[in-house]
Amino acid sequence: MHLSLAFFDSFDWRLHAAGLRLLQVATPQGKVLRLKNAAGAETVDAVEISADPGWPADLPDSDLRRKVADLLEMRVLLPVARVDCEVTGLGVLNEDAKTVVRLQMLRLNCDSPEVREPRTLWPRLRLVAVKGYEDDLAALAARLADEWEWPRAPDCLFDEAVAAVGREPGDYSSKLEVPLKPGTMAVDALRKVMRNLLDTLERNIAGARADLDSEFLHDLRVATRRTRSALTQVKHVLPDDVVSDFRQRFAWLGQVTGPTRDLDVFLLELPRYRASLPVAMANDLDILAVHLRAAQRVAQQKLKRELGSVQMRTLLDDWHAVLDADEPPGEPGWFADLPVERVAGRRIWRMYRKVLKDGRAVFSGGHAEDMHALRKDCKKLRYLIEFFRGLYPQPALKGIIRALKDLLDNLGEFQDLEVQADTLRGFAREIADQESDSLSTVLAIGALVADLLRRQQAAHERFAGCFSAFDTPDNRAQYKALFKSGDPQQG
Amino acid sequence: MKILGVYNIKGGVGKTATAVNIAHLAASSGLRTLIWDLDPQAAATFYLRVKPKVKGSMKMLRGKRDLDEVIKGSDYANLDLLPADFSYRNMDLLLGDSKKPALQLLKLLRPLAQHYDLVVLDCPPSISLVSENIFRAADALLLPTIPTTLSLRTMEQLLDFMQGHGLETPVYAFYSMVDRRKRLHLDIISSPADPRCKVLESTIPYATEVERMGLERRPVTDYAPRSTAARAYQALWDEVKVRVGGLRPLSDFNSPF
Repeated sequence: MHLSLAFFDSFDWRLHAAGLRLLQVATPQGKVLRLKNAAGAETVDAVEISADPGWPADLPDSDLRRKVADLLEMRVLLPVARVDCEVTGLGVLNEDAKTVVRLQMLRLNCDSPEVREPRTLWPRLRLVAVKGYEDDLAALAARLADEWEWPRAPDCLFDEAVAAVGREPGDYSSKLEVPLKPGTMAVDALRKVMRNLLDTLERNIAGARADLDSEFLHDLRVATRRTRSALTQVKHVLPDDVVSDFRQRFAWLGQVTGPTRDLDVFLLELPRYRASLPVAMANDLDILAVHLRAAQRVAQQKLKRELGSVQMRTLLDDWHAVLDADEPPGEPGWFADLPVERVAGRRIWRMYRKVLKDGRAVFSGGHAEDMHALRKDCKKLRYLIEFFRGLYPQPALKGIIRALKDLLDNLGEFQDLEVQADTLRGFAREIADQESDSLSTVLAIGALVADLLRRQQAAHERFAGCFSAFDTPDNRAQYKALFKSGDPQQG
Repeated sequence: MKILGVYNIKGGVGKTATAVNIAHLAASSGLRTLIWDLDPQAAATFYLRVKPKVKGSMKMLRGKRDLDEVIKGSDYANLDLLPADFSYRNMDLLLGDSKKPALQLLKLLRPLAQHYDLVVLDCPPSISLVSENIFRAADALLLPTIPTTLSLRTMEQLLDFMQGHGLETPVYAFYSMVDRRKRLHLDIISSPADPRCKVLESTIPYATEVERMGLERRPVTDYAPRSTAARAYQALWDEVKVRVGGLRPLSDFNSPF
């Protein structure tokens, strides 16, 4: 018997993180997709499929689809490793020539998009119990283990196959985690953070160019934004020339990746838009959907070119040269040699004070523009804390990050809903100009815009509560204890 | 889980050979199959090389012991056997003691539904409380019939019994041990049968290969898969599978992972 096995997961290992493995078994009779627990022994669910899995929504309707779709959200399934399996069946007979243990000799070869030559895994001998003759299996297994000293293989091939193709579960995560030691020179620590961001950025380029799913571009953009924030917010560490050169060049990357991302967001939101409309109107968004998809295709083509351009290549090469050199080129920043914790503490403390001050101003009756500015500062504060989180005790950070995140979510919602409403108005105009029969679509967009603005208003009303939860004596004390001592000017 | 009873009032009609070969073909196609040898003569048990002994068979039939504990694996993947026991000769008495005598067998089989796709009952001949249990438990009855006048009479007896007891289990008859050299066999096959049952297209020839099952102690579909007899069983199984319906294994059966 010949089998082709393939493990699937999202690029960021969402199934693995949930303790699940998704295995496709292809035989001459057909293909089956099995969702297994981490040990690999137990199948949680299985479905027959006709083509390799990709979007969870395209899988046959089943519990498996629901579980996988819930975990993957907007991510697509990608093959992690493929294993070619040749099975030879044998039997152990008792004195009546009755089969009491079934054996399967397995020869295994492993393959993935990342490796050129298939890798051979250790062959396996699988003992299959015959019901009612479990003692014979136990005796044989004991003999193989004790007398012949054959090691016991794990039930699941996953770990072995993944290792054979040079991957490691969780080897990609969009979460920024850089281990840093207090006492490290600020310039070295900052470059370590930036190298981590550059790695994330580079690893998402291929997926973003191929538009495998929208998260590749999203993660690429987050890494770009964080890099820009690290350049401008951690002042006087890198040479000034380097900072001014690369903040412009990364701003370019932010710009050229923007239009596709904006359209991706609308496409991701579309199901929610439909759900927010009365059932009778839900189909009125079909023209908008077509419009969005067409615009996304055009933007994606342009993005693909930009990400493959010479400008992009030289940006990455030059940035590598800055980060990988023994010392960055140019006059060192004033704070380059200071211990990183002092620089980090100082920047975080100052940004925190700014957020507090501006937040309190908004709290006591500020304008929408002030909320946008406050959001930007909150984001900078969050990035700063994330860059240097390795320096601080994790339990203490957890509480302040949560409070900051809640505030940011509120501010983000407030702004995003407004931007969405504005952009949708623009789409309505375009559709009205281009389509002859556009009235129902425009009306549906109108209903959407009203709904978005209502939600924005609700977000505005929630701001006071969110900010109060952020501006508590407890939280202030935490910030002070963690970051203030790092600020040399405040002793 | 589907339950298929292989039954005839008359003995020696190729019942056990049918049950064993059909079960073997079902298992090879990936269906998790159990064959229950209900006949105290234990022929199916013998064919599958298992000792005809069930520890605590009385308890089991009373429902005090799980069927699952006494099931034995055969030499074939996906094919298990619930062996016969000599005590089955008194099964009528035992079933008669239970609360709902005519449904006791079905009650015993129900917990197996998550482990098996198909249960094949190899039934003892004669008509009794055991038979009634089988008729009530089965999704379909498979009736091997030798094309002789006497056999046709027992077919009618069975159909009368079922009608009399309000049993609507579909009955699929097929001609077994057919000797194409005999005029009578050919005549009976070509004439219409009792309209209360469906006669399948497939026929099983009288063949020495089938008789060799006793020596080989294996299904003919295993030791002589290309023989006329094995092919006839395959055709029969293909027909039965469609009639019973709802029998579809996953494509990756027997996969080690």
